[in-house]
Amino acid sequence: MIRDFIYLKANTVEEALDLIDQHKEDYKVICGGQSLLILMRQGLVAPEHLIDIKSVEELNYIQFDEKEGLRIGATTTHRTVELSPLVLEKFPVLVHMEENLASIQTRNWGTIGGNLCHGDPAGDPGPVFMALNGAVKIASKQKTRTLTLDEFFIDYFETVLEEGEILLEVRLPPIPPRTAVVYEKFNIIKNDQGIISVAASITLNNDGLSCNDARIVIGAAAPAPIRAKETEKLLIGEKISKGLLEKAGEKASEEADPVADIHASEEYRRHLVGVLIKKMVEKAWEQAKAQVK
Amino acid sequence: MTKFNVINTPIHNVDGIAKVTGRAVYTFDVNLPHMLHGKILRSPYPHAKILNIDTSQAEALTGVKAVVTGKDTLGVKQGIWRRYKELCDEEILARDKVCYIGEPVAAVAAVDEDTAEEALDLIEVEYEPLSAVFEPLEAIKEGAPLLHENAERNINVTRHIEWGDVDEAFKQADYVREDWFRCSSQAHVCMETHCAVADYIPEGKLTVWTSTQSHYYIKVLLSDVLGLKENDIRVISRYTGGGFGSKFELDSAQFCSSVLSMKLCKPVKIVLSREEEFMATKRRTPMFYYLRSGVKKDGTFLAKEARVFTEGGAYTAMGATALYLTGFFQSFPYVWPSYRYDGYRVYTNTAPTSAMRGFGAPQATFCAETQIDLIAEELGIDRIDIRRKNAMYADYEVPGQATIQSCGLSECLDRVEEWIKDRGKLPPHHGIGIAAYGFMSGGIFNWFNTPYAFSSAVIQVNVDGKVDLFIGSQDMGQGSNTTMSMICAEELGVRVEDIRLHMGDTDKCPVDLGAWGSRETLMQGNAVKMAAAEAKKQILKYAAAKMSPNIVYDLDIKDRWVHLLARPERGLSYFDVVKEAIRGKEGQPIVARGHYTPHRKGMISPAYSFGVQAVEASVDSDTGKVTLKNCVTAHDCGQVINPLGLQGQLEGAIAMAAGYGFIEDLPMDEGKILNPNLVDYKILRTTEMPETTVMGVTTYEPEGPFGAKEAGEGLTNPTAGALANAVFQATGTSIKELPITPEKILNALRERNKREKK
Repeated sequence: MIRDFIYLKANTVEEALDLIDQHKEDYKVICGGQSLLILMRQGLVAPEHLIDIKSVEELNYIQFDEKEGLRIGATTTHRTVELSPLVLEKFPVLVHMEENLASIQTRNWGTIGGNLCHGDPAGDPGPVFMALNGAVKIASKQKTRTLTLDEFFIDYFETVLEEGEILLEVRLPPIPPRTAVVYEKFNIIKNDQGIISVAASITLNNDGLSCNDARIVIGAAAPAPIRAKETEKLLIGEKISKGLLEKAGEKASEEADPVADIHASEEYRRHLVGVLIKKMVEKAWEQAKAQVK
Repeated sequence: MTKFNVINTPIHNVDGIAKVTGRAVYTFDVNLPHMLHGKILRSPYPHAKILNIDTSQAEALTGVKAVVTGKDTLGVKQGIWRRYKELCDEEILARDKVCYIGEPVAAVAAVDEDTAEEALDLIEVEYEPLSAVFEPLEAIKEGAPLLHENAERNINVTRHIEWGDVDEAFKQADYVREDWFRCSSQAHVCMETHCAVADYIPEGKLTVWTSTQSHYYIKVLLSDVLGLKENDIRVISRYTGGGFGSKFELDSAQFCSSVLSMKLCKPVKIVLSREEEFMATKRRTPMFYYLRSGVKKDGTFLAKEARVFTEGGAYTAMGATALYLTGFFQSFPYVWPSYRYDGYRVYTNTAPTSAMRGFGAPQATFCAETQIDLIAEELGIDRIDIRRKNAMYADYEVPGQATIQSCGLSECLDRVEEWIKDRGKLPPHHGIGIAAYGFMSGGIFNWFNTPYAFSSAVIQVNVDGKVDLFIGSQDMGQGSNTTMSMICAEELGVRVEDIRLHMGDTDKCPVDLGAWGSRETLMQGNAVKMAAAEAKKQILKYAAAKMSPNIVYDLDIKDRWVHLLARPERGLSYFDVVKEAIRGKEGQPIVARGHYTPHRKGMISPAYSFGVQAVEASVDSDTGKVTLKNCVTAHDCGQVINPLGLQGQLEGAIAMAAGYGFIEDLPMDEGKILNPNLVDYKILRTTEMPETTVMGVTTYEPEGPFGAKEAGEGLTNPTAGALANAVFQATGTSIKELPITPEKILNALRERNKREKK
């Protein structure tokens, strides 16, 4: 049962930061509440003040600039991202990711900012944004700062957000030429959280054959989404082959640090990492290659 | 003229509009003036002595009206086993010791839920933890911690079934196969959690609104534990949001709200949370199965020996019946000339296991059907042929147990075989698995010791021809209200919309034992049909006087037309006849009663449904992930009453039974369920559902109303086995442990690859 709390609603960023400042001794920010309400109902979180920023319209936007790339405001819902023609054109991987994120009801209410700040290692947007070399803009009453997504997640349900801070937007640089980004998660129930998820970005050289750059991210395999940096190194400069994919899968399984839970053993999760890495790297590689031709 | 006007036509649920428009009042919706809210404190220990309970701080909290513990009750050990007192072992509010995590120890009534919840934290229970045991195969060992003094080696119940000379038959066998299987647990996951509103008044009467499968059972069980007369208690259950076997025993919401209300003379409402629902409202029985089967080279079945150890949990609940039925249905739906079954239900310090849709039969069918495929494979016999060769048939007698009056199993096999042939060559990594099954149409058991008929119905035909139908059966979403309306309309010769149904209220409705064991269509259906036939007889008396037909002519009513059977065009309006008839009866409406109790129908059930299911699934060889593609079921439920209802039952059953087969489980750590919420407990949703097809195989069941049999639970029996066999067909490996998770499949594939390399 959800314990009583004081509900406070902010309509602007300024109001939100003021409210947080006033109640910093015991508060929680809610922005859609699709994850938070479950924790509150289970009694795991019982804030005295709930500060709702979902109505902060100035953070509800999707903008694209050829130079700067994509900017998604924190209060933008998953469903808005999913249905955006702009996102479909420039970052199709996000539409694919959203289509498989929970139910339509959840996507209608849940927001990009809320999802990231929840810090669930099995969340979908985190790994994809990391593969896209994304950054986040964070503000408190005192200061504003920008961090890469790689720096954002710390531990289970923990991010770098400090007391008094809220996330304002996600920034994704334009996808470089000859690059493809793909994402997939393994689950039993469609649209459920991933038991393991993998996002892969592959950039090819001008020759269209060898790998110029790679960003590989694994979700649900550690206390936070992780970059598989050794796997990336292994791919860069190489040409694709069955052997290379095998090696990449093996390397990523080693890099992952999964734990056993009721849904899968540690061993099975490592196996899934290998399977998904092989599949995603190959898929991204082929899509990038198609751009060269 | 068609044989039926109403039966076998697709009719939407008679209470469907009330439900989808939100008018249907469920217990959850009941709010009475001055009503208080109750919460239950539950044991955090799997096994512990209760040394002391201090409620003073909780009682002192503002807004708290009462706190009760087991000491405030009569301390009656209760259960449905009213004929077998030794099996009544659960007090609901524990007094001396707790035997599972989640067992109720105290209850609070307060002005609102928050206050009640806060008060729970203020109750101080002093426990002395005892050593506990969680697995039946551990609990049965000498020296294991004992849960109940009278149960040596924690053995709660044993069941033995035997016919033929088993040992001799095994000697005659050309091929003998032994296997061990493990069947997991499953939660019912009703959309409406267990809940009750109890309202005791100083005049000594108690009214309880509750979500139940049997208002009659709850009324009597409450009288046992509260010391009230049966008929000073009224139980109202107009709508029940799902039962699946979890709601015909007395539960903690009903008991605690009643105890609190009697103390306060105010209404008290208790609604269990989803977590409580998972932790402490009973569940499907996990079973360890040993099977040994002996067959001839040509596939003829000779002998079967089955031994089962079930995880009982802390109390008997309905587990003793699950233990018997799993043994009985282990032989189904085949002719085994000799058969021996020994079942042991073992107490463990876990949440009690009990009835759940299929009542022991899904476990039996999974093991039996998996083994039959392995036998067929070994002997090189077609899997349909081996089933056909040994199939039960009409008039077969299960020795000492049951007589099968109608049986369409062979036709079901034919239909499924055709479908498989039409399906042609499958894509790679696909497999079609089949499983044959049968089930009962209501139990003959009277452990409850009711002196009433098993089912009763009352009909009143009013002056405008509209019909009041009073039934005791409980609709919990399975559609029995619609089924009864259809049976009444058909027999009386009116339309479904002419019937006004009165149900879910012990003050107004005649006794019916409730919705369990797939009993309503046959038992309540027979009672309704009898009452309708009697009412019709009364109406036709007046029609005969008016029409003065030749004495050799029979009269009947069809679709509101009273007519000569031989000359349907000669007749009168039903409405006119009824009006005259009532005038002629000194102004009394036409009233008739009907009832049904099975007699001379063996040990188990008056009739049995049969069927064969084919499940097509694909298996990803990289991950072991199973995807359901098709599910085709040839089901013999006698005469279909409502094709729409049958389709609904089938789809619901597949979702539940496939979930049991490859997704659902209740993993525990030291007796604590690890996934007591709908985030971590997965169930199948529409997106995971395969294409489903039902192929009706019509037989005529002489004992059923219009020839009908069950079509509810039996459909839950085959799916886990068919799915296991589909995986076997797709991968060549057989998984003998439920649920069949991707990880188990992958491990089995690796094992096989290792073996093949050697």
